[in-house]
Amino acid sequence: MSSPLLQISHLSKIFGDLVVLKDINIEVSEGEVVCIIGPSGSGKSTLLRCINQLEIPTSGDVFYKDQNMCDKKADIRKFREEVGMVFQRFNLFPMRTVLGNVALAPVLTKRRNKQEARGKAAQLLERVGLESKRDALPSTLSGGQQQRVAIARALAMDPVALLFDEPTSALDPELVGEVLSVMRQLAADGMTMVVVTHEMAFAKDVADRVIFMDNGYIVEEGTPQEVLESPREERTKAFLSRFLAS
Amino acid sequence: MDLESVKNIAPMLLRGLKLTMEISVVGILIGFLIGSVSGYALHGHFKAGRHIAGVYIWLIRGTPLVVQALYVYFVVPLLISAATGTNFTLESTAAGIIVISLNSGAFISTIVKGALDGVEIGQTEAGKSLGLTNRQIMWHLIVPPAFQSMLPALFNQFIISVKDTALLSIISVNEMTRQTQNYIARTFQTVPAYTVCALFYLVLLSILMVLQKFIEKKFSLK
Repeated sequence: MSSPLLQISHLSKIFGDLVVLKDINIEVSEGEVVCIIGPSGSGKSTLLRCINQLEIPTSGDVFYKDQNMCDKKADIRKFREEVGMVFQRFNLFPMRTVLGNVALAPVLTKRRNKQEARGKAAQLLERVGLESKRDALPSTLSGGQQQRVAIARALAMDPVALLFDEPTSALDPELVGEVLSVMRQLAADGMTMVVVTHEMAFAKDVADRVIFMDNGYIVEEGTPQEVLESPREERTKAFLSRFLAS
Repeated sequence: MDLESVKNIAPMLLRGLKLTMEISVVGILIGFLIGSVSGYALHGHFKAGRHIAGVYIWLIRGTPLVVQALYVYFVVPLLISAATGTNFTLESTAAGIIVISLNSGAFISTIVKGALDGVEIGQTEAGKSLGLTNRQIMWHLIVPPAFQSMLPALFNQFIISVKDTALLSIISVNEMTRQTQNYIARTFQTVPAYTVCALFYLVLLSILMVLQKFIEKKFSLK
């Protein structure tokens, strides 16, 4: 059996007195789509940010291709080039055009020369349906369009895997669909994805595995059918019934 | 106030204006340099850098410009002479440039710090998540929007510094205000001399304001 692409092992995170993550263990294999669900404050986003070391875990390890990224000698930058991230609030570069946003990192990290990077960026914008906006500034785009640019920006690094931190939570309801459909396409193309989300329909359709977190713990983990349709744990049931009721 | 008296005043005031502009331009440029370094230090993670910049700003903000000028011109040379056993003196113009540089630098550093702090943390995180180095994040993602947002406050400080050069008359720098006073002492032409002096400042500062509009437009996103 080949080892998983990402392995999170006994990971904990404490902010001051607040224990946010307690002994988290997750494995993600290549090509797998893992959705993390749970109430707000359950530690989902912190977990995602601990994976690419935007937050430094208090204890535990994150292995990527069998290398420990929590090791002081680990090449975090290289790891981040290979495992991209899409943020809740897009975090586009406001002074750069859409094309400039997508082409910047490949040039700075010397993955491509400027000409190549812009060509590839244009292709990616076509893939997310925004080729007509290449010269626009991010502030002139809708939230859904901005998030699609952010996905194209992450894809420009030819990532091995992508982390999504509530990518549709800051969007108007009518704009959620366009972002999810781009993500569905990515999943269909075989991208490895870890998605923190409140979109249960997306999780049910696209995820290979669903993880339910509450209060810093992984409460339940399994196929979408297992976790979303016939949950074993009371807390999962309570969350899902509250979620479906609202 | 007739054309004849203005004609007499102009050459002398123009000489003063030249010195006012020289001290202003050099002082503001050095001040911007000092302010950028010290503002970056205040924004950054190095404790020693933050403390040094903090003490510097405290000293400048806590004393009047006139006292700073007197101190640099009269006291510092004496201290240096005593310490080195030489007879060190400082030209008044050089002292003036030092004072304007140090003074504007302190205020510019708080402007720079505020602008750097004001760039959303999300920009840094986006840069990190793409594998950029801290230096690339600073230079490509933090500095451009910070520079844009600091322009109004920066030009405000430039304008203040130009006007502050008038206070250097107290250490006998022959800038425009002192030239005007000297002229009046000889000719008693109080009304035309001060009027022309004020108009010259108004023109000089108006040019700076036009420059501000031009640069802000150039860096604006629209």
